Amino acid sequence: MKQAFLIAGLISLIMYIAAQTSLIKPKEDSTIHITWGTDPNPARTAQTTLFNKTYPGIALTVDPQDGDITKLLVRCVTDSGPDIIDLQQNTMNSLVGAGILLDLTPYAKQMGFDSSQTYSAIKDSLEIEGKQYRFPCNVTVDAVIYNKKIFDDHGVSYPPPDWNYDDFVRISKELIEKPSKSGEKHLAVANWSNVAFFKDLMAGTGSNIFSSDGLHCILNSREAIQALQQYYDLIYKYHVISTPADSSAISSQGGWGSGALNWFNEGKAAMIFVGRWYIVQVPNYPNLKGALGSIVVPRLKDHPSSSIAVSRAAGINAKSKHRDAALKFLQFLASPEYSRMIVEDGDSLPPNPEVAVSGNALANESVPDPAFHDSFLKAVKNARVLNSSPYIDDITVSRWMQEFVDKTDNQILTPAQALQTLTVQLDKQIRINLERQPNLQKRYEESTGKHYSPNWK
Amino acid sequence: MKKRSGTSYLWRLFLLSVVGLTISLPFVWMVSASFKPHNEVEHPQIVPEHPRLSNYPIILNISPDPVTHKKLDLKFGRWYFNSLLIAFSTTFLQVLTSAMAAFAFARLKWKGRDTVFLCYLATMMIPGVVLMIPNFQILVWLHFLNTYHGLIISSAFSAFGTFLLRQFMLSVSPALDEAATIDGANPWQIFWEVVMPLTRPGLIALTILTFLGSYQSFFWPLILLNDDQLFPMPVGMLALNSSYGKQTELIMAATVLNIVPLIILFVVFQKFMVNGLQLGGVKG
Repeated sequence: MKQAFLIAGLISLIMYIAAQTSLIKPKEDSTIHITWGTDPNPARTAQTTLFNKTYPGIALTVDPQDGDITKLLVRCVTDSGPDIIDLQQNTMNSLVGAGILLDLTPYAKQMGFDSSQTYSAIKDSLEIEGKQYRFPCNVTVDAVIYNKKIFDDHGVSYPPPDWNYDDFVRISKELIEKPSKSGEKHLAVANWSNVAFFKDLMAGTGSNIFSSDGLHCILNSREAIQALQQYYDLIYKYHVISTPADSSAISSQGGWGSGALNWFNEGKAAMIFVGRWYIVQVPNYPNLKGALGSIVVPRLKDHPSSSIAVSRAAGINAKSKHRDAALKFLQFLASPEYSRMIVEDGDSLPPNPEVAVSGNALANESVPDPAFHDSFLKAVKNARVLNSSPYIDDITVSRWMQEFVDKTDNQILTPAQALQTLTVQLDKQIRINLERQPNLQKRYEESTGKHYSPNWK
Repeated sequence: MKKRSGTSYLWRLFLLSVVGLTISLPFVWMVSASFKPHNEVEHPQIVPEHPRLSNYPIILNISPDPVTHKKLDLKFGRWYFNSLLIAFSTTFLQVLTSAMAAFAFARLKWKGRDTVFLCYLATMMIPGVVLMIPNFQILVWLHFLNTYHGLIISSAFSAFGTFLLRQFMLSVSPALDEAATIDGANPWQIFWEVVMPLTRPGLIALTILTFLGSYQSFFWPLILLNDDQLFPMPVGMLALNSSYGKQTELIMAATVLNIVPLIILFVVFQKFMVNGLQLGGVKG
């Protein structure tokens, strides 16, 4: 028995020594080492290489994150977080509240990465109460990408400019009902995210999630209900989007695969509401080469076309030991060189609008047609962000929105019932948060000029 | 009577087959997906329409990724080795420390022993998430972040392992200790020469369980490590599942290669594993 343990111990030791001695250690010189907390996707290698080349005295490496903020929180509260933090809009509030993100306002203008250096549509998602906390790595706005081959197969004209939802329904019905030359049946729309669809409709109706002071949810407004009703009608009244039950049934059919993205990739669905990031998938699907067209999302009657703008953006760890070097990374994100790399990758829109001046400038190997990229540039001009409330974390809001849109999707609640119930639930949570957290009470008093009492209105 | 018994046997066989198939289906799907091209991965068919072996050379950096036309910068061999190193070392240390602690709790008599054991056992009731920040903070203070030893030492002690081995040791007759003592053996000799050999099924069970857990662990190494040279396989594979696009077929190919040591371990030691779990669960 002793021998077995001795041998096991010896093997462990030898393996440890072998691993330790074969590690490539960074050279001991004056280079400043900084880390970027982001997803470790292959595109990051090229991005960090370009940064390191641009700023020779700094070595940037990726600190891999898995899309969950637990690692980030654990590391940041123990002062060992990454210098640069990639984050979505729905985590910014929480990280600012926890004191993790640095206020960039004093540096941004002077270093050329203030919010005026990117699209005005996303300005609000970079700031909280007038202070800038992040700068975009990329910007996403939805447009409608369509498969020209399917339209041609059914003899249906491509979506016309300035189209509205009546046009959308008519075209979708034609795609479903007109027999195709190939004899194949197609779906009109691949609905890959019901919440994204609803949010685009919210942008179209001009509605929002919270009142401007963040103290009340306004999802029960006429405009928001109109948006969800429109989504519901497209499924159950006009039958141009599959019901969840139909989607499940389709997924189990041979050759279709599961998931709306897959249906579009496979040439089973004619249209998809999606961001430009979609085109990174095109090289995997040769059938889509040269077949893709795009157009801005349809507008609702009496409203201009509008969709939601979102961004994956980087902020700086307030406790970073290399703040100056980390700030240079944001400067790099605002540079034309970085943006040109995003254009080539097709990873949404580049953060620097000067690089994205025309469809020609955005054309790449995956989709060389400049007209295709033009739609996204048109979309970003009219896009907007949905607001958030400092009194409730956005992750909870996103989760509950998903839950209630699903309930509408599955006809458990009507659109009006869903949004009214969700509004009550969010309002109640804001009240609970305020009651429990003195820092929020202080914020309430500062922003309203009133003394906080549990019965505030 | 005979007929009824036959029917019952067939029913049991049927039920077990259904359960067996249900359990093995994800495994079969994983192997099947590892041979599919990207555009077939989400198809429900188990047998690939256009099977290909090329996912494996892509993972092993032998051929380029068909999307980027570049070789993926994956340190597959290194990650494989790291997984084995971490699992092997953690298992060795955890079995050793658990056995020693179990011996102290089962065979040695000292004041407050049972209370201390209960307290130690109670730590199993605390969710891991609650302990994450304190454990991490300790590693920060020790400068153990982003190191192999940080990962290994932080997993070298286990209340469950101690409990499991204590139950085994309690089943060994105390008369053997007494006989060894009369023959002049000290507690250290009793531990190594008498108790440990008789606890072998328990030690093997704990070895297998610990190895499986360490080899597959994802979240703790993800939090602790930054340097991709140190990643174990599950963390390294994160590169194939990013905002850039999920390459499920490559993840599955990597997973198939990754589980080979586990399958070997399970096939060789499955008898001990089942026995160990059963014994550990009922003896007290």
